[in-house]
Amino acid sequence: MSAMLLKKEKWPEFVEKLAGKKLWAPGADGDAMRFAPVTEGETPALDFNNTRVPPKEALFPQTETMYRFQLGAEEMEEPQLEDETVLLGVRPCDARAMTIVEKLFRWDIDDPYYVKRRELVTVVGLACSDPGLNCFCTSVGGGPASTEGLDLLMVDLGDNYLLEALTEKGETLLESAGDLLEKADSDAVKEKEKLVLEAEKKIKREVKTEGVPEGLPGLWEDPLWQNVSASCLGCGTCTYLCPTCHCFDIQDETEGFESRRCRMWDSCMFGEYTLHTSGHNPRPTRRERTRNRISHKYSYYVDKFDVIACVGCGRCINLCPVNIDIVEILKKVEEAL
Amino acid sequence: MELEQLQKTAAEVADREDVKYVIGWKKGSYGYRVAPGFIEDAAGAAELIFSPLCTANLATYLTLVEKLPVPRGQEADDRKVAVMVKGCDSRAVAQLLVEKGIGREEVVVIGCPCPGVVDPELLAEKYPETEETVEIKWTEDGFLLVRGEEEIEISRDELLAEKCRLCRYPNPVISDVMLGEPVETRELVEDEGVAEIENRDVDERAAYWEEQFAKCVRCYSCRNVCPLCYCQDCILDRLNPTWVNRAVNFSENTAFNIARAFHLAGRCIECGECERVCPANIPLGRLNRKLAREVRDKYGFEPGVDPEAEPFQASFKPDDPEDFIL
Repeated sequence: MSAMLLKKEKWPEFVEKLAGKKLWAPGADGDAMRFAPVTEGETPALDFNNTRVPPKEALFPQTETMYRFQLGAEEMEEPQLEDETVLLGVRPCDARAMTIVEKLFRWDIDDPYYVKRRELVTVVGLACSDPGLNCFCTSVGGGPASTEGLDLLMVDLGDNYLLEALTEKGETLLESAGDLLEKADSDAVKEKEKLVLEAEKKIKREVKTEGVPEGLPGLWEDPLWQNVSASCLGCGTCTYLCPTCHCFDIQDETEGFESRRCRMWDSCMFGEYTLHTSGHNPRPTRRERTRNRISHKYSYYVDKFDVIACVGCGRCINLCPVNIDIVEILKKVEEAL
Repeated sequence: MELEQLQKTAAEVADREDVKYVIGWKKGSYGYRVAPGFIEDAAGAAELIFSPLCTANLATYLTLVEKLPVPRGQEADDRKVAVMVKGCDSRAVAQLLVEKGIGREEVVVIGCPCPGVVDPELLAEKYPETEETVEIKWTEDGFLLVRGEEEIEISRDELLAEKCRLCRYPNPVISDVMLGEPVETRELVEDEGVAEIENRDVDERAAYWEEQFAKCVRCYSCRNVCPLCYCQDCILDRLNPTWVNRAVNFSENTAFNIARAFHLAGRCIECGECERVCPANIPLGRLNRKLAREVRDKYGFEPGVDPEAEPFQASFKPDDPEDFIL
């Protein structure tokens, strides 16, 4: 299907047409933005830079119940995932992150939770016309209008949104909007291309990745790790708010006789993450943990899945309490290579 | 305080044989950011700065060091750590001494009298951050923002951090070396942030905190940045028994935030770091200041003011009226 135009004043009607599906969109969470289920009758606003918490939580919830059981009983109850979901206003970097994370969740065995949610979701992206200060998506294979991981891309053209279906799911969604849309003329497409070029130019930060995946393991004992991790507090901000971080822990929680097994986000920046039962910790200090965080994204993941597990969204830079800056770390890595 | 004096002092201290490194503030990687700097020798001291952007409480690094076992035949490095402190930060050092979290011989305190720092979020909101590092200086009655050729005067009231509006200890309460002249000490003022919540009725208060705690992602940056949250074995990391479930929901998030606030009652020195670092913008400062106020009003105790004091939560007075016991 070719590109379509949606007048901005018709956006609420467009959202109404999606009734029956579960909608997630960025909404105000205090004074920040976060993806959350849209309540009926609400029209999500799309004038945001990006959410603090990435939309990964729609596919990989921070706490996921795997099954419930009663102490002493043999039966267990698994929650059924069957809601068709539409994610509205996903930034291209976060959508790319979904394709990257999916490689792991579809590796040796399919992860039933992630894969099921991924199948049920339609991802509607929103191209960036005004990238943030710490965005560097163009250095790691993405871009302000990258389409990877998206079913439909929306571009803000001022009075209209330009809509391009990228998959069958995207086309179905456009068809359901029917007469709200008009066919986009070549001017609109040209305008989009111009906007994307301008947006790319606004991206100031950059990382060089050539030779990094192969070279990182050789820097195992390099003093740079001590330098860049000296100020690290060991909190989970960088990993929890990272769209590609996907580590989890599995724990049982019991109240009275009611129990559930659930999995929840975990962070390689926590000391207990690698703590063995014996008391030994192979990553005993923040130096080893920082080295692992960077090496996993820029080397181990590349080795295994042939893609850098960082989409350049800049969240870890924006929100680190002590200004640990992944772009600066990668500069030091490049110097050390 | 002159920058030259700060860098000269830091260089002298860093070069001392009994000092491992000096922890100070240095220019960050972009915009308004300031990063903690670990200075091991005199040459490194040239990186250090002191400005209204130096919000971080560096005293937290005194207890954050993860010490590895010393290999057989080697000796432990027990040199002192030198740390630069503002008034509030120095209270953390004093409180750590009270609690014997650190020993006086382990630390060299470099005191920096502080006219008050800016609220970084407010600053970025009013004067958008740029990729180049930006300098901010103190003036007689406010701040001067220097961006390239451009200089912008900003009044103190416009940008001063909330914790600094309430600060009564702008001069370090403890120090080995004091830099520059003391600044004027301010009077106790009404804590409007806390009063505003206290004035709501109980249902509104519950709803307010429910909304706040629901945002928590449990990254524990508040705990880790806190100079007084330094338990080696934190109840939050315990699995057996699991005092607080790892699950992120209102109930567990509330348990976590309230447990932390209670553990800080009579210990929190109001440096405001928890609130600054929270990625969910939960007003943790208000929560902790409320408990600090209870302790101050009911027991006449203020933490981190006197390094010789008895720790509040671990002391008993025979004449305690105990009127809270039914």
